[in-house]
Amino acid sequence: MTIDPALWPKLHGASVHFPVALAMAAALFDGLGYVWPKPSPLKTKLQSAGYFTIILGALGTFPAVLSGLFMTKGEVLGHDALLFHHLFVWPAFAGLVGLGVWRVMMDDKASPRSFIAYLTVLFLTAGLMAGAGYWGGEMILNS
Amino acid sequence: MNLSLEGKALISALLVASLSLGAAGLAAISIRAMPSSNAAITASPEIVTTPELAVQGREFFGTSCSECHGDDATGDEGPNLHNLSISNARIAHTIKNGIKGEMPTFAKKYDDKQIAALVSYLRSLH
Repeated sequence: MTIDPALWPKLHGASVHFPVALAMAAALFDGLGYVWPKPSPLKTKLQSAGYFTIILGALGTFPAVLSGLFMTKGEVLGHDALLFHHLFVWPAFAGLVGLGVWRVMMDDKASPRSFIAYLTVLFLTAGLMAGAGYWGGEMILNS
Repeated sequence: MNLSLEGKALISALLVASLSLGAAGLAAISIRAMPSSNAAITASPEIVTTPELAVQGREFFGTSCSECHGDDATGDEGPNLHNLSISNARIAHTIKNGIKGEMPTFAKKYDDKQIAALVSYLRSLH
């Protein structure tokens, strides 16, 4: 049986957008939820949205990473745009997974100080995901 | 040792993130070690090029080569690959082994059959 050579690129393209979008959405929801002035139903909804988007984003990294590894035949760094893509991907992957685990464990019991630290790492991770997406797009545009 | 919930959550997050990176690394090593689906087909010393292989080679070119040699292989950072005057075997050798300091090796990425497909594609360029 011969595997379609374009199978992994197609699966990678289909799966990568979820963690990128969900990481950014989590940063947006949790950021807004944090700065929202007073306890209100909307603040709770924003916090809930942040909770679920970061967990889904963390779960979404696994198919994206696995399909990428199959697509590149196990290349973890590469060269040129692929190298830049990977320099963003690996810390973003670790960051998203770590943030997801932390959020599940803490639920809504985090102190304000630790939640600020969480938000800081979340924004940094969302930025890394954006960078990974940018360099991924560069590869598509240049191929 | 009595850790607060925040301490436990932080340690778990770091642990799972590290394990995930490690798992990705192991997956990469395993994928590299996997025989290609075309590995059973042994290439003859003479690289045979066909239009069918050229179609497949175009896919590989888009994945691995076009970034440096340009979409249409007319050159970018890397040289123009149209009307190559070197032999098929020489092209295959260059793809496999690269050029030190200039071009990466693709021996681990593509087997002989896939390199023949790339050679077929390059031969189809005029």
